[in-house]
Amino acid sequence: METRLYFLLGDLVANAAAGAAIGAICAAVFGPGWNMWLAMFVAMFAAMPLTMLMAFPFGALFGAMEVMVPVMTTGMVVSMWVSMEAAMTRIPVAEGAKMGVCGGLATLLLCYAANAYMRRRTSHWIS
Amino acid sequence: MDLVTKAKWDKAAANFDVMAGFGPEKRWEPAKTRLFSKMGDGPILFLAVGTGLDIRFFPPGRDIVGIDISDKMLEKAQPRAAAYPGKLVLQAADVHDMPFPDGHFAQVFTSCTFCSVPKPVDGLKALRRVLAPGGELHMFEHTGSRYFPFNTMLNQMTWLSKRFGPDMNRDTVSNVKIAGFTVTAVEHVYLDVVKTISARA
Repeated sequence: METRLYFLLGDLVANAAAGAAIGAICAAVFGPGWNMWLAMFVAMFAAMPLTMLMAFPFGALFGAMEVMVPVMTTGMVVSMWVSMEAAMTRIPVAEGAKMGVCGGLATLLLCYAANAYMRRRTSHWIS
Repeated sequence: MDLVTKAKWDKAAANFDVMAGFGPEKRWEPAKTRLFSKMGDGPILFLAVGTGLDIRFFPPGRDIVGIDISDKMLEKAQPRAAAYPGKLVLQAADVHDMPFPDGHFAQVFTSCTFCSVPKPVDGLKALRRVLAPGGELHMFEHTGSRYFPFNTMLNQMTWLSKRFGPDMNRDTVSNVKIAGFTVTAVEHVYLDVVKTISARA
């Protein structure tokens, strides 16, 4: 697990910012007129390349794949969640951003847990 | 020489250090230092030395040839190579067409290289050719993932990323085996995406 404060804070900022941006965009774009599943797929496929681009400036400061993978996962998770919610009931943009921050931080925690698990499993994959 | 690949990396050279020179290098410093500490006394090939960002992690006093397909990258690497306290020669070369005799090197090192080599298995076979029998290959690479959602995401994003830089979904460990190496160690640095791979020719 990453233990250097600079990178821990960088991961938090990158995922919170990406989550907030994607959550706000989804809340602004999607509404009760949308089919829930269509909204989810459209949001997800638009969010992944968008968060990939968002990851570049954070990546230059805080790391390459260690930033890009969680930030893109945040984009996928938050876009699915907020767009489906927005398709059921109108969500204010600020509320979408707050949901995005929560989703981003939760996704980051899951990525940290997945990282710890996969690093332990390394030895299983050696031929 | 693969002129399309050369042109891509010549173009990337101008801003390469802005994107890769600080955050990624700082983050990967412990893992790279650990990997490059395996550099021995024999002649060493460092494939795709780029702008020379990794040179500061090399242990001193080694005998290294650093190659890259891009002249522009090598121009930027030159001052870093000159500051290295050992023998470090830079040379423009394509991994598919290396001007070295069979079995010339005791070790080969790569760093974020086989995400970008257009024909990775052929490139790895070329490395096996220039390695002495039993010679060591040590790689620091990012690859695809076996796990959802990371695998799906990296597969989806490769169509975009390969236009300006690397593929994000290569199975480099399998490619090393297909090229005829015996994999001796794989260490995951981040998820199963960033890893070090050690193998013998």
